[in-house]
Amino acid sequence: MDRPAGVFDIRYEQDMAVIRTGPQWIVLIGFLIFLAALPVFAGSYFLSFMVLTGIALIAVLGLNILTGYAGQISIGHQAFVAVGAYTTAVLMDSFHWNFWATVPMAGIAAAGAGVLFGLPSFRLKMLYLTMSTLAAQFIIMAFFNHAFPDYFHAVSGIRVNRPELGGIDFRENEAFYYVVMGIAVLMTFFSRNLIRGRLGRAFVAIRDNDLAGEVIGINVSRYKLYAFAIGCFYAGIAGSLHASYYRMVNPPQFPIDVSIWYLGCLIVGGMGTTIGVVFGVLFLRIIRELVVFISPILGSMVSPIDAPKIGPGLGLISWALVVVLFLIFEPRGLAHAWEVLKSRFRHWPFKYSL
Amino acid sequence: MAIFLQFITGGLFFGGMYTLIALGIVTIYKSTRVFNLAQGWMVTLGAFMLVSLVEMLGVVAGVIAGLAFGALLGLGIDRLLMRPLIGQPLTTAFLLTIMLAYIFEGINILVWGSFSYEMPVKLPGEPIRLGAVVISHSLLWGIGVAVLAFAAFSLFYWRTLMGRVMRATAEDHQTAQSLGLPVKGVFSLSWMLAGMLSIVGGLFLGVVSGVNMLMYGALLGAIAVVLLGGLDSIAGAIVGGMILGLIQSLVVGYLNPSLADVIPYIILLVILIIKPYGLFGLVRIERL
Repeated sequence: MDRPAGVFDIRYEQDMAVIRTGPQWIVLIGFLIFLAALPVFAGSYFLSFMVLTGIALIAVLGLNILTGYAGQISIGHQAFVAVGAYTTAVLMDSFHWNFWATVPMAGIAAAGAGVLFGLPSFRLKMLYLTMSTLAAQFIIMAFFNHAFPDYFHAVSGIRVNRPELGGIDFRENEAFYYVVMGIAVLMTFFSRNLIRGRLGRAFVAIRDNDLAGEVIGINVSRYKLYAFAIGCFYAGIAGSLHASYYRMVNPPQFPIDVSIWYLGCLIVGGMGTTIGVVFGVLFLRIIRELVVFISPILGSMVSPIDAPKIGPGLGLISWALVVVLFLIFEPRGLAHAWEVLKSRFRHWPFKYSL
Repeated sequence: MAIFLQFITGGLFFGGMYTLIALGIVTIYKSTRVFNLAQGWMVTLGAFMLVSLVEMLGVVAGVIAGLAFGALLGLGIDRLLMRPLIGQPLTTAFLLTIMLAYIFEGINILVWGSFSYEMPVKLPGEPIRLGAVVISHSLLWGIGVAVLAFAAFSLFYWRTLMGRVMRATAEDHQTAQSLGLPVKGVFSLSWMLAGMLSIVGGLFLGVVSGVNMLMYGALLGAIAVVLLGGLDSIAGAIVGGMILGLIQSLVVGYLNPSLADVIPYIILLVILIIKPYGLFGLVRIERL
């Protein structure tokens, strides 16, 4: 753990702490207050940006546990988000459950689907396992498209009502923002602590060398399934929020493109770091908003026939290109750049840094 | 019976297209150990490029220019994107090909838009009539070219010096390098061959089903072919391709058309669980 000079640990609790110094506490509490105060002064556009970022953050946190820590590359994560979204939607629509009760159910259902599609990981690894997650993406989406039309309503979609709790109506984006951000902060905290224990170290051992991990006594198959279960649990929670934010669930909301976009967030942020997930999701979300902002301007410069091509085309190229550049020039992602920056700042005016 | 025969030819044609894509993936995987997920996207980009080139230059010159474009595309990917990644974990290169696929899709949308084009190429010959059955000659051309490509690649790998060099490189990069084999050259050549194969695939697929954005979904299924046949097996590419093409065509014809998109992935999952290294793939034993 890197920390400023003069900070010494004299008790074990201090050595274990995530937040070590007074200023770190101040920054954390200041940031939480900032998040809580945001709806007061932010416009509705910025608020919906933050809500979508929060939902993506939860999904990518799950992918980070599965891919970043346990090393099982998944290119079907959005399908597990879909499982969560459909669980919430069907439970509310057909069985008239309360939204708050469906959120944990969505997580559990997605975790179950994750374990099911994680079962091939008993025999497979690396590339082959990635292919089985690709199969998961298409098979799960085909399931929602064609199976049980009475429940899934693939053609018309399922309408989802936003929740209500103790007199507060969450149909307003301001109120719903608190739901998403509250859960996102909680899930970030949970993921940060989860991977510091035995579970997280076992995941890292599997990622770095699964044979060696097995030799020192880690049940590799079981821990791979744990990784799938936890990663997909996160996806399910994200899906549940996704469903109630859009108030509608239908299959085209969950394409493979988004699964790969999640993976891009992870690469840009830096695999296997919690702060990297936050950076990565924010970075690619901002790029997406920039493209939305810039493409009408570019569109007005070319002929009207070409104008509608610019938005979707640039939208794809921009983030994919950013991810490619990160893979080539900074494979450790923004998290590493952040560490370098902090180290430079600490050691200034000396040249030494990471 | 007549309908059955049509399903069979249709299935064999799509099997042939799967074979062409799978051959590209296998060629790259054999020598560089990089799984190129973007191969299907390269085929689509190649098809769009061919439409423009043939309209500009005429059929013969256009197709030749298209092949040159494919080779350049492969060379460019290798030199600009894959070469800096030497020494990085292989998953990095794999992730890069995924992202590359989306860059290609974006370029397609930017340049050609999401319209449907017709490939301005007429293949010589007439549709064949067998009693009540009419079999399009384009399908037969596609099947023939796939078989020809398979034969050419087999001959190349097993009968020529360069093929032998490529197989040696596939065996072990470091050993090949220390024996003085041009490992980097082999990498470039593999990518160029894959680029040219994607143009050939784009040509025939474009002639039969038109050139549009829907090709991605269909072409991603070729991944199932590669795993079914074995990641490093040329023979596996054609056997797996034909099996998948036939199963897909028959299921769509007789059972349920809505299953078309899922079938490759169901086969993929089954083959991964039963026989992960595929029908003809080399089983690698891992040591600590």
